[in-house]
Amino acid sequence: LPFLGRRVGATEVIDIQIGSSHPTTNIWAHAMQAALQPEVDRLLAEKGAYSVRWHENYGGTLYKFTDTRTAVRDGIVDIGMVGTLWEGSAMPLQNITYYTPFANDDHMAVIDIFDGLTETLPELKDSWTAQNMQHLSSLITDSYGIYANFPITSVADVANRRLSAPGSSANWLAGTGATPVDGALTTYYTDIQTGVSEGTLSFASGIQPTRVYEVAPHLARVGFGAMYFGGIAANLDFMARLPPEVAEAIVTAGKHTSSAHGAYVTERSNAALTEMQAAGLQTVDFDAAARTEWAATLPSIVQPWVEANGEPGLKVLHAYFDALAARGLTPARDWTSGL
Amino acid sequence: MSSITLGGLLVGLLLVLILLGMRIAIALISVAFLGVWLLRDNFTLAMKLMSIATYNGVANYLFATIPLFVLMGQLVSVSNVGKDTFEVADALLRRVLGGLGIATVAANTVFAAVTGVSIASAAVFTKVAVPEMTHHGYRASFATGVVAGSSILGMLIPPSLLLIIYGVLAEVSIGKMFVAGLVPGVLLAGGFVVMIMLAARFRPDMVFDAERLREKRLSMAELPRLTSRQLLSKSLPILLLVVLVIGGLYSGFFTPTEAGGVGAFAALIVALLRRSLTGRKLWQVMKDTGSVSVGILILLVAANFYGQMLAVAGVPAAISDFVREIGLGPVGFLILHIALVLLMGMILDSSSILLIFVPISAPIALALGFDLIHFGILTVIAVEVGLLTPPFGIAIFTVHAALADRRVPLEAIFAGALPFVAIMLLLLVLLAAFPGLVVY
Amino acid sequence: MATPSHAPEGPGKVPPFRRGLQAVLDIMGAAGTVWIFGLMLMIMADVAGRNLLQMPVTGVAEIASRSVVAIVFLMLPAAALRGNMVRADFLVSRLNRVAPGVIRLLEWLFCLAGVAIFVLIAVSAWPDTAEAWRTREFFGVQGVWTLPVFPFRLIIVVSGFATALALAIAQLMPVAQTAAPLEI
Ligand code: NA
Ligand code: NA
Repeated sequence: LPFLGRRVGATEVIDIQIGSSHPTTNIWAHAMQAALQPEVDRLLAEKGAYSVRWHENYGGTLYKFTDTRTAVRDGIVDIGMVGTLWEGSAMPLQNITYYTPFANDDHMAVIDIFDGLTETLPELKDSWTAQNMQHLSSLITDSYGIYANFPITSVADVANRRLSAPGSSANWLAGTGATPVDGALTTYYTDIQTGVSEGTLSFASGIQPTRVYEVAPHLARVGFGAMYFGGIAANLDFMARLPPEVAEAIVTAGKHTSSAHGAYVTERSNAALTEMQAAGLQTVDFDAAARTEWAATLPSIVQPWVEANGEPGLKVLHAYFDALAARGLTPARDWTSGL
Repeated sequence: MSSITLGGLLVGLLLVLILLGMRIAIALISVAFLGVWLLRDNFTLAMKLMSIATYNGVANYLFATIPLFVLMGQLVSVSNVGKDTFEVADALLRRVLGGLGIATVAANTVFAAVTGVSIASAAVFTKVAVPEMTHHGYRASFATGVVAGSSILGMLIPPSLLLIIYGVLAEVSIGKMFVAGLVPGVLLAGGFVVMIMLAARFRPDMVFDAERLREKRLSMAELPRLTSRQLLSKSLPILLLVVLVIGGLYSGFFTPTEAGGVGAFAALIVALLRRSLTGRKLWQVMKDTGSVSVGILILLVAANFYGQMLAVAGVPAAISDFVREIGLGPVGFLILHIALVLLMGMILDSSSILLIFVPISAPIALALGFDLIHFGILTVIAVEVGLLTPPFGIAIFTVHAALADRRVPLEAIFAGALPFVAIMLLLLVLLAAFPGLVVY
Repeated sequence: MATPSHAPEGPGKVPPFRRGLQAVLDIMGAAGTVWIFGLMLMIMADVAGRNLLQMPVTGVAEIASRSVVAIVFLMLPAAALRGNMVRADFLVSRLNRVAPGVIRLLEWLFCLAGVAIFVLIAVSAWPDTAEAWRTREFFGVQGVWTLPVFPFRLIIVVSGFATALALAIAQLMPVAQTAAPLEI
């Protein structure tokens, strides 16, 4: 027993505040609790000099989705999930995937590309540093489709329909004749049930818990693609304060978390789809031709984004499409053409 | 000192400050700020969290409907639509003791089908019902209690913000939650009606102001009774409003969130058609709407910051561990869960309580064999009790703010709502014992 | 009650500085009031546009969310000056009969706390406000609609200082209360 006490005394305990705006049942927050934390613990236990006492602030009781960036930037948590999707002003470059739909629906590809680009492209890396943050791992959504109360087999079917498509996803309906309706994950069910909208643009792992398929039993797997949603990030001051060994373990664990997250999203979206289909969801898969037709119907939605973000925007757009090409992935529309 | 101990002391400090008469919003914000500062031992961090709380605490579309429903209430009141409705109700229920109280409950039940937020019901009916009830001889305490108590129906009868939040957190069908809320909602309304009738019969001193009642009887004796033609013309405007809003809602013309804007607009049209809005009166309506709304919304800002402080103290996590480790059977667990929700309801706002409890307790409930829809309705009713219990009872605050009458103190409204709390607790027991009332 | 508090609240009873401040804060509050009306019209426009013209007003939900915050903080200073913030005074009114001195002391302490916390609110909101100005921060969707964040943030800074001032003036230059408690 005395030996045990000495051993515990020899490990220095580091306190880390970790948190998110979402509960750990959510795919993004899940990555932190299920992959990042245990991996950091494991790496440190191997060396034996340090251990971590985690202070978990999951589930949005500490801050809401509007503040994921500020929370990590200002050190309200040391490590947190940052939804760059909600940071169109402060971190616009990260949102490239939302302005280039139909690019690709391979989860691991999106993660790999953004883990890589965030390291190699100063434009992306610096936009994290400028916010006093260090990017640890990439977080994504599975591929977006349309859950509707009517069948959709081609872009022509959404003309004169009202679809819940908040934020930048409204862009994906531009020129199709569909009317985008504002809303959120919590309002889709009632909105579709009462007829305010007739369907919604969403992804399987997110929509399944809300049971929207009960009122919108037709899923069109349009193939808008998997999106880069944001990242797990650490506060820079916090990282600088840490013993190098611990900081290094966190960075290494971040890489591990990226791939664990990719695998988990695949598993969860497959399970969600199976469950929804068992509950009666009718699925239509868009083939390459139908996809291309939809993509061609859209105006150049990336143009205003490039105009707003100038040279860095253009560089990120090209780097992203080059990385897709390097992996042998051919988007249904080349959004770089003419830019 | 551990974070939890400090958290407990800070809750105690808040209670003392509120009891000593500190403005509740200021007490909440001050304690929250002090708490974060002490707990993290970091003044800068407390400042940053406060900046988040003030800028984003109430930045929510659902909260935007609160001033709109307040506006609707003011317009209904200024155009005498409310007064007429109650004259009709009084005429119809003249023979029933406590008729106006029953009319308020009935009106709230109908209005509940329009709004998803209880605060909205409270704001609308304070302006409409309380002046009429006091005018007809009811005690102010009872009249305000009826309004606050029956406003609860707004979040039990669909659409309902709380049922939506629960559905998302527990991953059950929001549609099924809505259906499950119907029978308990109607039962609760019925319970309120029975309670009012019994109180009026056996404890008239609790319900009526003897002197006013006598005055009223004298003046009523001279008044001619309403003809059926008058009855019809007096009830037409409110019927139109209700049909318009409910019809528009259920035909998909607009969302529950938008119902506030549409309802206010419709009330404006009615007021204009009745020629009851001069420029000056309209300005007065808008000013009153503003002062009532700010009183409610600043409390929400403050409550949100206070909830963040409790999170920093680790209160949600501690409760979670406590529930998990105590290892109770189904009945014991249910009682503990409801008791904790009721306790938290005294000091926290309703969405925060769901955010804290549902992710912890729903999986346990499922493992213990509960139907999650049944469990959800029980949880939501318990959460709603918190809207009426001191020291932090937002429905009571709303009535107080909307009434804007210094002569009716806060504690009078809390006291007036207590019988309604009792009915809700009875309903909880009934629903827990007979799940068939919820899930069928 | 020992001392009747039925003094009439005439305009002559209000000190000039307080009256001036009241006028300024009322104008600020009026802006919030008009904003509520505008919110109603915007929602109507969206509902009508979406259903009748297939032309929704984009961003209503987000603009409405931000509007709530602006509305609260525009109207708060006037409410603070008029004493329109909810409090529980049943203990106070009873204590006031036995120990009025203690209650007066408490009122001063609460006033000090209120002034301090609202000055802190203003100060805490400033860095984000300056940042919003510096980086031209916006909300909305690029290429669809955007609004600058700065004015929304600035309202909180101004409101924080104004509310602190209003709380101080309400305590330093009190006006007589007219209403007697109603029998309950
Ligand atoms: Na309702
Ligand atoms: Na309460």
